Amino acid sequence: MQDSHIPNLDDVSKTSYYIPFNPSSTKREEHKPKTSIPKSHFEDRDLNNGRELRLSAYKDAWTKCLGRMQEIVRDLQAASVKDVINEVQHSYSNILPGLPFPELPVISLTNSGLGSAVLDSITSELEGKTAIYGGENSNCVLAHIYPGDIPNITTGMRSIITGLIEKQEVDSVKRKSTTSLATYDIKYLIAWYKIWAEDSEGSSPHIIVLLHEFEQIDPLVMRDIFDICSRYVSELPLIFLLSMTSPVSNYLNVTYPRSTLSLLRVRQFSAPTGNEILDALIFNTFFDLEFQPDIMIGPAVFQYIQDYFARYNPSVDTIFTVLQLAHLKHFSTDPLAVFVKDTPSVETLASPDSSPFIDALRNRINTINADEEIPADQYSALVDFVDDARYKFYRGLHSMKLGLHVMLSLLLFLEEQGYTGLKGSPDSGRSSKLWDAMDVVLGGDPERAIKGLAFVARKLKQRELGDILGRMYKLINGLAVALSSAEEEQHAKSEIVAMRTHLTQCGEDDNSFVDVVSAFSTWITGYLTTKLRPLENCPLWDIWYTGLSPFPSDIINPSIRASLVAGLLQPHAFAENLDPHVPHPISGSLRDLPDISILFKRYLDSSKMINVYDWFESFKTVLEDQRQHYKELSTTQASASPRKRGKGKQKASPQVDANEEDDSKWDIHVQARFVRALHELDYLGLIKHTGRKADHLVRTLFDVDDAQ
Amino acid sequence: MASDAMRRYPGHENFCYELETLLSNHPPGFIYIHDLEAIRTTTRVTGTILDALSTTSSSPAIFYAQVDCVTSFTARLLYENIVNTLVGWEPRWEDGCANWKDDLDTRWNENMDSFVHGLRAAHTHLSRKAGAVMDTGKGKGKAGVNSDVRLVIVIERPERLKETLPELLVPFTRLSELSRLDLSIIFLSQVGWEDIKPPLGASPDPYYVDVPPPSKEDIVRNLILNFAALCEDSPSSSPFNNPYQSSLKSLYIHFITTLCDVCYPFTHNPQELQYVAAARWPGFCKPLLDQYKACGDIDMESGEAFPPPTNDVRMRLTKTFNPTLTAALEALLPRLTNAADWALANAPPDDLLSLPRAQGVQAAGTQGGGAAQQGAALAALPRMAKFILIAAFLASTNPAKSDVRMFGRGLDERKRKRRATRAPGKTRGGGPSKVAQRLLGPAPFAIDRMIAILGALLEENDFDSRASGKQFKIPGEHTDMEIGRVGVFSYVMELTSMRLLHRTTPSDRLDGPPQFKCAISYDATLALAKELKVALNDLLWDPL
Repeated sequence: MQDSHIPNLDDVSKTSYYIPFNPSSTKREEHKPKTSIPKSHFEDRDLNNGRELRLSAYKDAWTKCLGRMQEIVRDLQAASVKDVINEVQHSYSNILPGLPFPELPVISLTNSGLGSAVLDSITSELEGKTAIYGGENSNCVLAHIYPGDIPNITTGMRSIITGLIEKQEVDSVKRKSTTSLATYDIKYLIAWYKIWAEDSEGSSPHIIVLLHEFEQIDPLVMRDIFDICSRYVSELPLIFLLSMTSPVSNYLNVTYPRSTLSLLRVRQFSAPTGNEILDALIFNTFFDLEFQPDIMIGPAVFQYIQDYFARYNPSVDTIFTVLQLAHLKHFSTDPLAVFVKDTPSVETLASPDSSPFIDALRNRINTINADEEIPADQYSALVDFVDDARYKFYRGLHSMKLGLHVMLSLLLFLEEQGYTGLKGSPDSGRSSKLWDAMDVVLGGDPERAIKGLAFVARKLKQRELGDILGRMYKLINGLAVALSSAEEEQHAKSEIVAMRTHLTQCGEDDNSFVDVVSAFSTWITGYLTTKLRPLENCPLWDIWYTGLSPFPSDIINPSIRASLVAGLLQPHAFAENLDPHVPHPISGSLRDLPDISILFKRYLDSSKMINVYDWFESFKTVLEDQRQHYKELSTTQASASPRKRGKGKQKASPQVDANEEDDSKWDIHVQARFVRALHELDYLGLIKHTGRKADHLVRTLFDVDDAQ
Repeated sequence: MASDAMRRYPGHENFCYELETLLSNHPPGFIYIHDLEAIRTTTRVTGTILDALSTTSSSPAIFYAQVDCVTSFTARLLYENIVNTLVGWEPRWEDGCANWKDDLDTRWNENMDSFVHGLRAAHTHLSRKAGAVMDTGKGKGKAGVNSDVRLVIVIERPERLKETLPELLVPFTRLSELSRLDLSIIFLSQVGWEDIKPPLGASPDPYYVDVPPPSKEDIVRNLILNFAALCEDSPSSSPFNNPYQSSLKSLYIHFITTLCDVCYPFTHNPQELQYVAAARWPGFCKPLLDQYKACGDIDMESGEAFPPPTNDVRMRLTKTFNPTLTAALEALLPRLTNAADWALANAPPDDLLSLPRAQGVQAAGTQGGGAAQQGAALAALPRMAKFILIAAFLASTNPAKSDVRMFGRGLDERKRKRRATRAPGKTRGGGPSKVAQRLLGPAPFAIDRMIAILGALLEENDFDSRASGKQFKIPGEHTDMEIGRVGVFSYVMELTSMRLLHRTTPSDRLDGPPQFKCAISYDATLALAKELKVALNDLLWDPL
């Protein structure tokens, strides 16, 4: 039997696996969840407990952002959830008369983007746990069936039947398994249903079978199950709810024969997919005027999300993962990120441990405003400055969002009227207007776009100008102006009103109309220029804004071969050294590497074919060196504990008490290590065996750019 | 006796007569009914005949059981279903769903042997019930054939037995010998006996009954007969909304005749034709009902029937809806959509008859009907998946040897040349002409080859749309990085689970690269290629 800890790695439905950490197989006794985030590169100027503080700040920021996004996802899915629930409830009403035989209702829900949340809402609604989408009156029983429950028809029928019977307890009766109906017999379910339907009074309740990951279920088995169930539809009001993830909508038609399909009445529903999700999530989270994320994500990450979303995985989980990683990266890079939400107390800053941090901060501030330098001991001034910078940043962000909304509405209007939109803006025509505008606003060069817009605005006709002025007034009037100074908005409003009144007084060919149009053009230029100031102009902007710092894409979508080679070349960059006995930090020399890496370095040095004996000799030289080195270390440190080094497999490392070690024994030891490392390389596919030349192997990897 | 069945199932008269005569007189032990076209109807007819035979009081009394081999997928289910149905036993939840028991309370669902005992016990029980009191004390010892009770067991879809329970096939065909009872077993199948016959003559030859495919006239009569039953079933809330009412019968006859004229060449299955009729009829008669409603001179209360439509109206309806019948068949026969949805989507507008004629025909035109093409459905895939599918199609279609020539980026661009296309049908060697791979179906390919082709495609067609690649300096390095990414490999697996790729090697084999086959058509690939601006025909070894 398979160990329950080890996942089924052949399961095609998974793109990644979680292999749980099993403490018993390693030497470490204590295993606590980490309470801090990875060390910053600028560790030397970090606060004493900076990592913990930043972790909690990260948690706050991410929870806020995630909560917002989940709300948006709920809104996105609401329509399809409602449809599905409605369909379930009315599956057996309004049946078309005149059909040759009753059909089995099958509802397929294609949900490739929104993740498990959709199904969760549906089931909790149908099971009567929640009543958000109008499913409160549903009288039904629901069984969850996973692909693993249906390996063959007997087990499949048993899982379905017991799954249903367990859900809704009716008086269980003692039964003798040998002389009564088998638990996989549908008649057994019918007998149960009769009793349950009697108990539940009134209309006949529905039985819903929810098949998760339907594509993974063997079609041959499922065919028979559909066949059996369809025969008893008149006695058992069964409904099959299929949860599918592939965006291909005709899966059933492709996979199942006509004879099966003719028994079913398939209704297809699909949750929103594609760019709709991405746009809604990003725009409503980071550019909504009523929601203020703790940190602002920069264009580099947005660009990466957009690219990865379109290229590899158009799902909500992708967006969540990337944004979470971006948050995590932001908080683990710069020690200053501790200021995101609030400033630590003066006492914390005044403690002597914090002095490098304070010095770095003060230097930074002093370069910004060189006029009034903050003296060394004025912590409150520092705190004030940071608080002020935070206020300024959020205000800047808010006004940028305002500008974006105005610009977007103008753009959409121009597009409706048939004008070219953001002509000359970077990446125009690549995606929707939304992304164009975001790129322009965050990309740091809005001036060109504003100029272009102002140019187009000059060409507007009288009616169009009236329309757009009306829209602008409505927009600015309706905008929440909490953070931004209300005065500016009042001013903008009054200007628009003035232009509108002016417009009503003049005719199309009038000179005064030209005046109004140019006034509008000037106004829009001025307004957008004040609003769309780059966020980088705010003091200490990098605390709240990730800017142009790139997203570490290799974390979620690494190139397998490149990572493999990098791991072999620089093992210590990948694995934290779990062994406390090994001298730290590790020098870059060859002898400190694990055996496989030593072997790999030599592999790279060789020509196309490798002589195994030469390889072994070179390996042996390194090991001799290593042995010598440990010997020296042990004599200098006089440490009694045996040394082990490298990754988990390197348990057979040299004993330092080498005096008693026999030379022949050492040779065998080296040979064994060589053979193991060789096999590891072989297993990674780096070696090809040919019988062409004795004692020779062929390299399979060339042209590795080895920095060392 | 069976005249009822004969009346209800036109076209099955001979079959009814034959079966009824057989069963009521002296049936052979093993009857094989073969029906290629309308097995469902034949099953129903058989059921009706048996029902009629078992209810009439005659000697011998007939008891029957009808079981399906798909529903009864294990031997135990088969035994239980047969015996419980024969004795008319319905397991109840209160009794713990116990099976029927004889007086001795023996277990009879364990194996064939115990099943035969169970059958005999059931027989004894039934003879007692039928009033033919046997000498029960000596019943077992005598083992004589009781001519007063006859058992008939109908096994539907016995071809499934061959796959799932092959060991039961021979005992079932010889059940009357084994049980030494007056018993007849009927196999009812779409498959011929020669295809499921066990080897070495282990089974006796059956008495063959072949049901001929139903003729068009039979189907028409059959469907029209159903109308009466439908009229009874459908609620008579408002006559203006009810398409099934007896006053519309003449129109329905006309409708069914037209429908069968159009659809009979494509399917002979009465169920399918009934399905299409069910989807179209409400829309067909709706204009007429609307007209009656608009006139308003029919008194609903009095239950007065509608006058039959005039010839002109009938012709007009036929002309309006005739084109939609083919559309209905096209959408409904492969079940691209279901009848209810189709009927809803293609309901004619209100008061169609009051519209001008040309407009009416237009208004009744069909809407899509969910005929989603595969190519359109693929549009939702992410960009990389589309490239993978194109690469897989190329790998499946082009011979492996041609890859270097097709995708190589050598110095000499002229080398990149396809095989000279020869005129089809002529070969130099005089052998049979080579068929294009595209027509032969996809060939399996190793994943490495597909990845390499993917690299070539990406380098040519995806280079400009990449987000950033400043860190890569060597030409092709970025592509090399892209094709090795985890996302690519995981999407290959995902496409396999969507059945857009087929994995031809078992998933538990570690040696060697996994092999795949492409499962999308040329047209679907072409649509993808157009979207990604890949010149597909230039990359095919055998272009179209």
